[in-house]
Amino acid sequence: MSSPAEHMAPATDPAQALAARLRSQYAARITGELVLPAKAGHYAPLPDALDARLVEALRGRGVERLYTHQAAAWASVRAGQHTVIVTPTASGKTLCYNLPVLQSALTEKTKALYMFPTKALAQDQVAELMALNDGGRLGVRAFTFDGDTPGDARKAVRTRGDIVVTNPDMLHQGILPHHTKWAQFFESLRYVVIDEMHSYRGVFGSHVANVLRRLQRICRFYNSDPLFILCSATIANPAELAGELISARVHAISDSGAPQGAKHLLLWNPPVVNPDLGIRASARSQTTRIAKMAVKRGLKSIVFAQSRLMVEVLTKYMKDAFDKDPRHPARVAAYRGGYLPTERRAMEKKLREGSIDCVVSTSALELGVDIGALDVCVLNGYPGTIAGTWQRLGRAGRRQRSALGVLVASSLPLDQYIIRNPEFFLGASPEQARIDPDQLLILLDHIRCAAFELPFRDGDRFGKQDLGEMLAYLQEHGVVHHEGGQWHWMEDSYPANSVSLRSVAEGNFVVIDTTGGAQTVIAEVDYSSAPETIYEGAIYMVQSAPWQVEHLDWTGRKAFVTRTHADYYTDAIDYTRLKILARDKLDKLGSDPMGSDPNLSSPNLSVAQGEVHLVRRIAGYKKIRYYTHENIGYGNIDLPDQEMHTTAVWWQVNPGALDASFDSRQQALDGFLGAGYAMHIVAAMRMLSEPRDIGRAVGDGNAEWFATVGANGRGQLLGKQGEAVDPAALQRFTPTLFLYDNYPGGIGISEPLYENRAAVVTGARALVNDCECAHGCPGCIGPILASDEVRGYSPKAAALQVLGLLSD
Amino acid sequence: MDLKSKLSRLQTQVGANVAAPQDTVSRLRERIAQMERSRRGHDKLDKLRRLGSRKLGSDPAGSDPNLRNLSTLAAAVEGEHIADGLIRIARRIPRRGELGTFVLHTLSANPRLPGEGTTADLRQVYIDTETTGLSGGSGTLAFLVGVAVVDTEAIELTQFLLTGFGAEATMLEAFAETLSPADRLVSYNGKSYDLPLLMTRFRMQGLPHPFDALPHLDLLHPVRRLFARRWVDCRLLSLEQKLLGFNRVDDLPGSEAPAAWFGYLRRGHQAPLVRVVEHNRQDIVSLAVAHSALTRAIDRPQDFGADIPSLARWLSESDEHQARALLQAHADSLCDAGKRLLGHLSRRAGDWQQAASIWETLAARGCIDSMERLAKYHEHVTGNLAAAQRYCETLPVGIASDHRRRRVMQKLAQAPARRRPL
Repeated sequence: MSSPAEHMAPATDPAQALAARLRSQYAARITGELVLPAKAGHYAPLPDALDARLVEALRGRGVERLYTHQAAAWASVRAGQHTVIVTPTASGKTLCYNLPVLQSALTEKTKALYMFPTKALAQDQVAELMALNDGGRLGVRAFTFDGDTPGDARKAVRTRGDIVVTNPDMLHQGILPHHTKWAQFFESLRYVVIDEMHSYRGVFGSHVANVLRRLQRICRFYNSDPLFILCSATIANPAELAGELISARVHAISDSGAPQGAKHLLLWNPPVVNPDLGIRASARSQTTRIAKMAVKRGLKSIVFAQSRLMVEVLTKYMKDAFDKDPRHPARVAAYRGGYLPTERRAMEKKLREGSIDCVVSTSALELGVDIGALDVCVLNGYPGTIAGTWQRLGRAGRRQRSALGVLVASSLPLDQYIIRNPEFFLGASPEQARIDPDQLLILLDHIRCAAFELPFRDGDRFGKQDLGEMLAYLQEHGVVHHEGGQWHWMEDSYPANSVSLRSVAEGNFVVIDTTGGAQTVIAEVDYSSAPETIYEGAIYMVQSAPWQVEHLDWTGRKAFVTRTHADYYTDAIDYTRLKILARDKLDKLGSDPMGSDPNLSSPNLSVAQGEVHLVRRIAGYKKIRYYTHENIGYGNIDLPDQEMHTTAVWWQVNPGALDASFDSRQQALDGFLGAGYAMHIVAAMRMLSEPRDIGRAVGDGNAEWFATVGANGRGQLLGKQGEAVDPAALQRFTPTLFLYDNYPGGIGISEPLYENRAAVVTGARALVNDCECAHGCPGCIGPILASDEVRGYSPKAAALQVLGLLSD
Repeated sequence: MDLKSKLSRLQTQVGANVAAPQDTVSRLRERIAQMERSRRGHDKLDKLRRLGSRKLGSDPAGSDPNLRNLSTLAAAVEGEHIADGLIRIARRIPRRGELGTFVLHTLSANPRLPGEGTTADLRQVYIDTETTGLSGGSGTLAFLVGVAVVDTEAIELTQFLLTGFGAEATMLEAFAETLSPADRLVSYNGKSYDLPLLMTRFRMQGLPHPFDALPHLDLLHPVRRLFARRWVDCRLLSLEQKLLGFNRVDDLPGSEAPAAWFGYLRRGHQAPLVRVVEHNRQDIVSLAVAHSALTRAIDRPQDFGADIPSLARWLSESDEHQARALLQAHADSLCDAGKRLLGHLSRRAGDWQQAASIWETLAARGCIDSMERLAKYHEHVTGNLAAAQRYCETLPVGIASDHRRRRVMQKLAQAPARRRPL
């Protein structure tokens, strides 16, 4: 508990009163809480230099003064600095960039490009600009330019738009490759605005950074040098991320001048209902209960769910309670992707007007859509990142009174880790958003796109790799042609069309529902995750509803599925053989104190980071029953091997120390597999990434053998041909635990993972140690078989023992 | 560790800045190749996809311009080098004999299409380009630009052929010099393809483009008006077959042009490029002939199987009388749309009788528009309110038709009252 109860405001405040009630009634379910005190607003006058028309327009909308961060943004931008603004939801961020942009458009006839991650946000922004525009009849023209812009309107946008609002994909595929059509626009381009910057991280962010490099290159061609204004939700490193995105120094403004009511946050773990199996009540039931209490007390509430289906389920439960009488206007509404834009706009309007008491939403509302002020925010499940959690919680908050947020944990391992370690969540700063724009494959993709847009000259730079070498590589493949000191595009193709910003691998699979004879595409699956998710026999989930894969057409990139009502899910068994190619970093711990020469001494533990080659075979799958997690069957999978060159972090224990710590190598092996499972969870959380961004494997590091959980639930060693290997018969038994970057070439996860190596082990140890299960469960070391009690030792204890060795 | 530090480490190890790059450089390329392989997997589909980017590094002719024999190329296309990397091919094609069924000496230097003003009197410059890609965008360039004009004895054709990237600006300038403000460009699909692409190229080379000042006729549009509903497609090849009665022999398809030029640049393969030049020549000659042939198809649409109602609509934009005469001449074989247009033009000409008779035919087949016109006709022209009411009743429910129905009913109700005192 990070803040004692006596610091709380008087319970007359309705959100505070609800918090007090929840705490007194359900103390055992609340694992942590945090109170953020109220903040008064800080103001600054409208800048003197502000154009009179703009002043009038602002006054027309009731704006007589600015918040200090808005004034600071104005000053920074007017001083010619690239600027990033990091302030909470609803703190008036848009004015930070609209003011300088409109000023310059009015007085100097300059143009601006706005980039939002989604089309819906772009349309919101244009509506906002229109509203400001109407007030002062400024005559500044703002248009969206995206896939929905009709062909006959595009020319008008290109030639007449003062502000063009688009998204990265459109900039990448629709604008930059056709820059000559935009010549006038680029010649007078003064500002580039990038909102929701925090969403540009990982693979997507690395791509976007390269799209911006291309944008800057095109601007140089047209002799313009636009200033960048970026906005972000809270992350740990806004200036750094902004700097990497635009390849320049960026001034950060992070002190919000907007007033804020107090915020009270509760971490909530559903009660255990079956102590033997460690099963808890569902998050859904808890979420509904809390939301109902809030609405009954007249508090405007928002509930965030992780899937569209869950949105519908929770909405139904809430409507059953509050919208029984159809003659009254609805008090509860659902909001998610998949609705028509007009429906969404109508919903947003009702929310702003306050005629809806409770909205149930997916992350669709997490980004900047304006829905007005709310009192209570309930998260049905951990959103996956600390920053994402705060962004959603930020939806509740008023200026005058306090707001309440409740994070309700699901039974997923990450949720349980967070909820059982409240001090980690409450104490941690938001994650670093990381990108790796110089990742070779991503960079290569964009060098191709850039070469198409404008020939490179000898000596040009693009990214931090050796451009000449990369162009030479492309010339070897006939993609570019070196002539007269320039590299010319030399293919009959349009490279941007084959580069998707949202992934690094090629050739997505489509999932086709054939239930009832029709063929409907219901989902797309990345190439890299296809082998483990859509093999024949797999249960494939869309919005929590199960489909079974009947046929996989690997070359045609199609999976044919039918609806099913299976009470199990499937989990692929993958055999991953890793070979260490190059070790870049090494940390030896617990060296023998007697050894005078560190090279000869044998450390108890070594942790390393470097390049690896892996061959992955998805050999079969397990069927696992819901809730009980028991294994109810196996199936074979016949797919080609996947090969990947990537980067990894690996842990090795001195064989002598290992043999000394365990009764048998089998136990050690089980321990390594369980430890790997737990470390994988913690690593994903620490790296601000999805668990599937990171892979794990246990092997010898030389691709001689690798370990997997066999049909009997035990770890087993398999050799090169998949033959069983007896660990006891090995001369040297050095199980190596790998956590690898699950993208070809790596996307920059392994280096920070190496920096966090100790924290990952410590975190995993806490996760397993604090888990209430007896011998292991999916919340800590992975599913174990019911028959595991006869193993003679606890897999959980073995995992803890390995984790102990790894944290030496 | 990033590549740079890797490179510098390796360089320090060998103790030199000179020898190192060879090694490390091939390692970078190797790494990329390895990663690309793992990204793409090893299946056939990926290989097929990558056919366009085969490894060519081992090809000795790769990118060495010395291996391309420029003088034999110029000779093969009967052109001359006018700059480094640029061949000009100038030809006079005498207007003798036929192209298909078209007698060339009847070719007009200034064919006139319906509704054209003085632009038809300008010098007509026929233009066609061959490009390095068909998907557009700033990375696609025109490596061959051909223009032609028709004079009294010949079709005078000029083609500019790039033999490398370097001479593009020179080519664009040379091409622009062939044009004057007294010209009109005539193209086939040039509005959406050739001209935007050329404008892009002028911009990429930092040159002003001449197109804003020049009128432009894209023959694809009139061809579509006349034949879109008659032919399977309106490609230039179909036009040659159907309008000019001419089949090309041994033509290199336009879609293979990019590969032909790349093949010449990479490997010095000359023959396919020579065929592209021939293909472009043929395109331009056909274009000039098709322009004249179109005026004939307009004069005698039935002989060319043209779409008469569509032609009449086109004519009606400038000359309703001529359009109506055309429709009347084919009145027996008109489709309903043609009949509707004839009814419309008859009414505009004041021939209510013909208009009404056409509307009655159409209304009998359930044409709502004609019913409405008849209702109006009887309400306002003949004063036959009973007939007007009859037609009103058949109209579908709608604000306008309900209004009309009510008004006619009202008039009907008042009519006998007014008549009674008589």
